[in-house]
Amino acid sequence: MSGMKRKKDLTFLQRIYLPEIVKGLKLTLTNMFRPNVTLQYPEQKFTPPASYRGRPVLVEDKGNAERCVACGLCARVCPALAIEVQASETENEKERYPVKFEINMLRCIFCGFCEEVCPEEAIVMSKDYELVFSKRSDAIYGKDKLLVPIDNLKDRLEFLRNFK
Amino acid sequence: MSIMEIVVITLIKIVAILSVFLLSVAYSVYFERKIASWAQNRVGPNRVGWNGLLQPFADVFKLLLKEDIVPEASNKPLHTLAPFIALLVAFSTYAVIPFGPEVELFGYKINLVVADVNIGILYVLAFTSIAVYGITFAGWSSGSKYSLLGGIRSSAQMISYEVSMGFSVGGVILLAESLSPVKIVEAQHGWMWNAIIQPIGFITFLVSSFAETNRLPFDLPEAEPELVGGYHTEYSSMKFAGFFLAEYANMIISSALITTLYLGGWQNPLVDIFHIQGGWAVAMQVGAFMIKIALLLFFFIWVRWSLPRFRYDQLMNLGWKVMFPLALLNIIWVAVLIMVFKI
Amino acid sequence: MPKIIIDSKEIEFKQGQTIIEAARENGIDIPHFCWHPKLSVSGNCRVCLVEVEKMPKLVISCATLAADGMVVNTRSEKTLSARRAVMEFILINHPLDCPICDEAGECKLQDYAYSHSVGESRFVEEKAHNIKRTEIGPRIMFDAERCISCSRCIRFSSEIAGANQLTFTKRGDRVTISTFPGESFDNPYSMNTVDICPVGALTNKDFRFKSRVWEMSATKSICTGCSRGCNIDIWVRNNKIMRLTPRNNEQVNADWMCDNGRINSFKFVNAEDRIDSVQVRKEGFLQPVTWEEGIKTAAVSLKKFKPHEIAFIGSPYATNEDNYLMAKLAKALGVQNISIIQHSVEGDCDDILIREDKTPNLTGAALAGIRPNYNGFSLNQLVDGIRQKKIKAVYIIEDDLYSIAGADEKAFANLELLIVNSSNRNKTTLSADIVFPASTFAEKNGTFVNFAGVVQRIRPAVATAEMDRALDGMEMSKWDKFGTKFDRWMQGEKKDAKPTWRIITQIGEQLGMKFKYEMAENVFDEMSGAIKEFAGTDYDKIGSEGLKLKSEKIAVNV
Repeated sequence: MSGMKRKKDLTFLQRIYLPEIVKGLKLTLTNMFRPNVTLQYPEQKFTPPASYRGRPVLVEDKGNAERCVACGLCARVCPALAIEVQASETENEKERYPVKFEINMLRCIFCGFCEEVCPEEAIVMSKDYELVFSKRSDAIYGKDKLLVPIDNLKDRLEFLRNFK
Repeated sequence: MSIMEIVVITLIKIVAILSVFLLSVAYSVYFERKIASWAQNRVGPNRVGWNGLLQPFADVFKLLLKEDIVPEASNKPLHTLAPFIALLVAFSTYAVIPFGPEVELFGYKINLVVADVNIGILYVLAFTSIAVYGITFAGWSSGSKYSLLGGIRSSAQMISYEVSMGFSVGGVILLAESLSPVKIVEAQHGWMWNAIIQPIGFITFLVSSFAETNRLPFDLPEAEPELVGGYHTEYSSMKFAGFFLAEYANMIISSALITTLYLGGWQNPLVDIFHIQGGWAVAMQVGAFMIKIALLLFFFIWVRWSLPRFRYDQLMNLGWKVMFPLALLNIIWVAVLIMVFKI
Repeated sequence: MPKIIIDSKEIEFKQGQTIIEAARENGIDIPHFCWHPKLSVSGNCRVCLVEVEKMPKLVISCATLAADGMVVNTRSEKTLSARRAVMEFILINHPLDCPICDEAGECKLQDYAYSHSVGESRFVEEKAHNIKRTEIGPRIMFDAERCISCSRCIRFSSEIAGANQLTFTKRGDRVTISTFPGESFDNPYSMNTVDICPVGALTNKDFRFKSRVWEMSATKSICTGCSRGCNIDIWVRNNKIMRLTPRNNEQVNADWMCDNGRINSFKFVNAEDRIDSVQVRKEGFLQPVTWEEGIKTAAVSLKKFKPHEIAFIGSPYATNEDNYLMAKLAKALGVQNISIIQHSVEGDCDDILIREDKTPNLTGAALAGIRPNYNGFSLNQLVDGIRQKKIKAVYIIEDDLYSIAGADEKAFANLELLIVNSSNRNKTTLSADIVFPASTFAEKNGTFVNFAGVVQRIRPAVATAEMDRALDGMEMSKWDKFGTKFDRWMQGEKKDAKPTWRIITQIGEQLGMKFKYEMAENVFDEMSGAIKEFAGTDYDKIGSEGLKLKSEKIAVNV
């Protein structure tokens, strides 16, 4: 087109493009005879590794108490503004707890920033990737859906300790 | 034959061809998805029917049940008209393409072509030119910038490549000394396929038909990363299905045209080599026609899942600076063949 | 003028200024905890250490007077390492409470920990523990662990509030702040210590854990608690006022406001008893109607009476614009009976901020044409007139007729028409014939004139049904900016209220008058042309600092 200089000039064969096309076609053709990697999803399920970022959940410590102190850092850092927290006072030693903790799963982009910023290790990314709702309002998960017993999250917590 | 008989025979041919054609359009979508998944080490549709064979029908039902959204800012009559133009053009081109030799059935001599028009090639070129209206209307009437850009790109692209397409056909016409597709097929008797005699013309025509059908690597009108869905961004439901089907219908038409013009149409050299006569010969010839189309379709799809999209300026460069001169070169080559070798 | 060189920048200063003051006036910020521009110098935090040439050791810039020719370096390696050392020292016993601490986000220690600290502590021992969560006063929670012993609160309570209520007790890492045994930190200005506390040791009980500071929008406004008109920020989240904080204005309130204004002057905005629709009395009951119908009914009903049968009551709670249009409507109708109700609490005042007059705009209303005993029409005459059926119709804005001294339950039973603009339900709205829901001070634009004649602007912080936060240029938090109607935080209630000036404009239009005001600013522009005290003023000139009106005598005849 213009007089733009390339770093490396193409050879004539590359310039006429056809051999390259043939190469590309050959690649796809050979792929057609390779075994496929498909997982038949609803019947077979994918079990993600600990590094997987599924839907964010709140850690429920032993004794049915959330770890969260409603500091709001997750809500602050969330690039998609998916999290809404309302704090309140408790008699516990930690003083604060979330009276409301909502994640809008339609907004969530599973970036894991909330987990990274959490000072209490109270919100972590789970392995749950099956998120289905039929109404917008159903997509807003409250504490009832978010709280997960700590025993189900051991994998992730260990992963975080090692690599965060 | 009386007029009545001609009408009835033609109607039967139309119905037969149309049903086979529609079915093959539906299944070309299926095979597009299957071949794509093979190329990517996947399985592809396998839920609806055995190996997903009923998938095309499921798709149609899904599209039928979808809400038809017409944008507020659109020009509604044109917005509705556009997919019909696209479909009409795609389907009616098939009328002049011969899919077999003349046969005798129940005492009638039947030409295996819907309409043996003596200017068939002109008819095809004219009709494919109209197709650009469907896309331009769709782009303009949607009242959306993406649609408009897609529509403009598409019309520029189609008009540009029609030139090299037309000139490529010139070589074929010179050899066959006729504009009738039936004559052109007959002229490629035996191994006298135009693809062998004039390979440059074959390649230019092939490339141009990729561009004409808006298939990758020339699918700029609907380049998703830049233009969302291109000219059909604002289409939904059956109107979208119209464009979708038209694209595949065009692919089949293009394959049939390439077969007719360059690959000897229904000619099957084996028939001559083994001196096969009668019904078997016809069957083999029609079969050959189908197989040629099927292989071309596979090629169309195969290319799509192998090559990246061209940039717009590259596309125009290729069209005007490479394809057009090559098409001219082909005409000279054919002229030289005729003058020197007297074929 | 003597000159000092700070960070190789030559700066002029006034004799007697300290280094930190001279630097601050010229935009050089030297970190400080204990120093406060309005308080005496204590010099105990040591974080403002700077290097001064020819001085053997670093000096604290808050207590060192600037001298001519002095060369100060606030960014030298020596200064920085000293600052880091001080920060590390202060952080030794400061708990990692930020996640549960209300101060987080506006905490000086937090900010400096980011900007002037190394981010790591070499201290491995157990931090010193102290009492947490104690009520040091009725409105203040105290967390002794968080305290960095800057003594700002101690100095505030003795120097500004004049109450002398706080002091340090104990020594070393056990030092803490305390009141006299059995006493409570309860002076009427105590909550200012929450603002000046550089950490979260003192927190606002009323606001405790309600919201994080970064989730709110702050709108510059005026406190309506009394006629001082303290400058404030209204902090709003989810279209609800969360707290008020004082805003610096040297000619009005400096950096302070009283606890009563801070806690009580905004509660009615979110209250349950807000009027939520236009109501017209039909068959003995108030029925909700549309705005069109309400305006039309009001106009038609007003026309039925002769001018001398009507009384208009303005309001010292309403803005200048509201009162001006009220007076203008009265004039257009020929109504002479105009008055205003005063709300003074005798003896409830001091020489700091609190005033006897508990309304924000009595002076402004008087300037706008609505004053007590206007044309000799007193409130007593109003009550008598109604008893004697001389006055048959009353239009009152943003006030309660029953608050007139001597008005009993039956005083207004003879009224044939009572129209009221009010934000909340009260006795008047219950007995009214037509009720218009009025926007509160936090929901509209307008101006107040305080007792000293300073005209100041209020701005909408809470959106009503007729307003859009973005389109009407209101302050927005990050959540307001990026929210959609599907987000819960955007679904905060929007009251169907209109500012009084707009209601009067619409009634005026209905009556065939040329009332063409699109914005409160249009009304004020007309006022600045018509009223000599306001001559030459406009919204831009008033700005966020207010404007002292030129007139000598604006005292209202109380």
